[in-house]
Amino acid sequence: MTGIDEPLRRRIAVVSAGLRNPSSTRLLADRLGEAVGRALGDRGAVASVELVELRDHAHDLTNMLHTGFASPELQVALDAVQGSDGLVAVTPIYSGTFTGLFKNFIDVLPEGALAGHPVLLGATAGTARHSLAVDHALRPLFAYLRAVVVPTGVFAATDDFGHSQGVRQDDDVAPLADRVQRAARELADVVLSSSRPPAVDSFDDPTPFEQLLRGGGPAR
Amino acid sequence: MASVLILTGSPSTVSRTAALAGHVADDLVAEGHEVQVLHLRDLPAEAVLTADTAHPSIAAAVRAVIAADALVVATPIYKASYSGLLKVFLDLLPQSALQGKAVLPLATGGTVAHLLAIDYSLRPVLVSLGARHITTGRFVLDAHIDHRSGGPVIVDDATIACLDRTSAAFRAELRSPDAQLSALAAATA
Repeated sequence: MTGIDEPLRRRIAVVSAGLRNPSSTRLLADRLGEAVGRALGDRGAVASVELVELRDHAHDLTNMLHTGFASPELQVALDAVQGSDGLVAVTPIYSGTFTGLFKNFIDVLPEGALAGHPVLLGATAGTARHSLAVDHALRPLFAYLRAVVVPTGVFAATDDFGHSQGVRQDDDVAPLADRVQRAARELADVVLSSSRPPAVDSFDDPTPFEQLLRGGGPAR
Repeated sequence: MASVLILTGSPSTVSRTAALAGHVADDLVAEGHEVQVLHLRDLPAEAVLTADTAHPSIAAAVRAVIAADALVVATPIYKASYSGLLKVFLDLLPQSALQGKAVLPLATGGTVAHLLAIDYSLRPVLVSLGARHITTGRFVLDAHIDHRSGGPVIVDDATIACLDRTSAAFRAELRSPDAQLSALAAATA
């Protein structure tokens, strides 16, 4: 029941597959989440950004792979991702590809869960040597999931975080902050132009208590 | 000793990739291997692009690949992948052209960000052509190659050490019993 002058609400889920604490993957995930929120704000939308830290669900993910059932906490995380209007997915690069923790989470998503879903991909590693993992490992995975992945993938090497203001001297790569913003703008544009119905948060539009008392159920 | 064919896939006449291949070729020659270098840019362009395997130069190049015991495949990394020149040549080879052979992949590029191209793009193509053993490849930064002065080609000490290891592993593979069996099988086939 969104009125004409109601703000445009969009939910963004941010998945971080970092294993350590503190984690540079989490740092990149936070920066991307904030940037997407700002980009949506610039476009007149009200964004809520929800973080899913996979490290906290590692045990439950393993259990779910064996039993097929999600713990209540993991189900909240799965719902946050599936119920979002846009997903930011960030993983460390281990052995030239995404981590097992990240893949476990993708593996427990129901078939078609991310089909048509706007996605921004991010990755971190110690050096720039594994930059192509975003395009060679992550992108094909999300192509299989039929997600709509924005053109800019954000790879951050450890020393990128220290060079956010200037261009790295050994390279003509744009500074991390610029890449984060460009990717965030791309995701915001895709989220707002997406033909998918916006995700509905059942708590945003509760049936008024009076209506329930009068015997009327939720409006259909 | 093995016969090794080196393919270089750079379209430039003054090429870092060819210089890098030359550096590795010297190691192979020093160990007594018989080395032949084929700069793919020297092949007749139209014949390569139309896969005209009846063209004498192309036919000779294909024969050289099939006759070699092992190959070094060197390519510049363009747009995060091997060069088109390398691919058009690989495309006209028979599907099993690398069967039984050891292959050393080498790549050059302007940024280390493209290092994985050697494993993600070049290696699967070599696998598809039937290579028996693809030894660990090596990506070398353009900035670490001096291909103009005529002095030492690799100008970075850490890169020289890495390349030495890569090249030594490939040469060890050439001496392996597997390699000798493959060469024997090819000779009697």
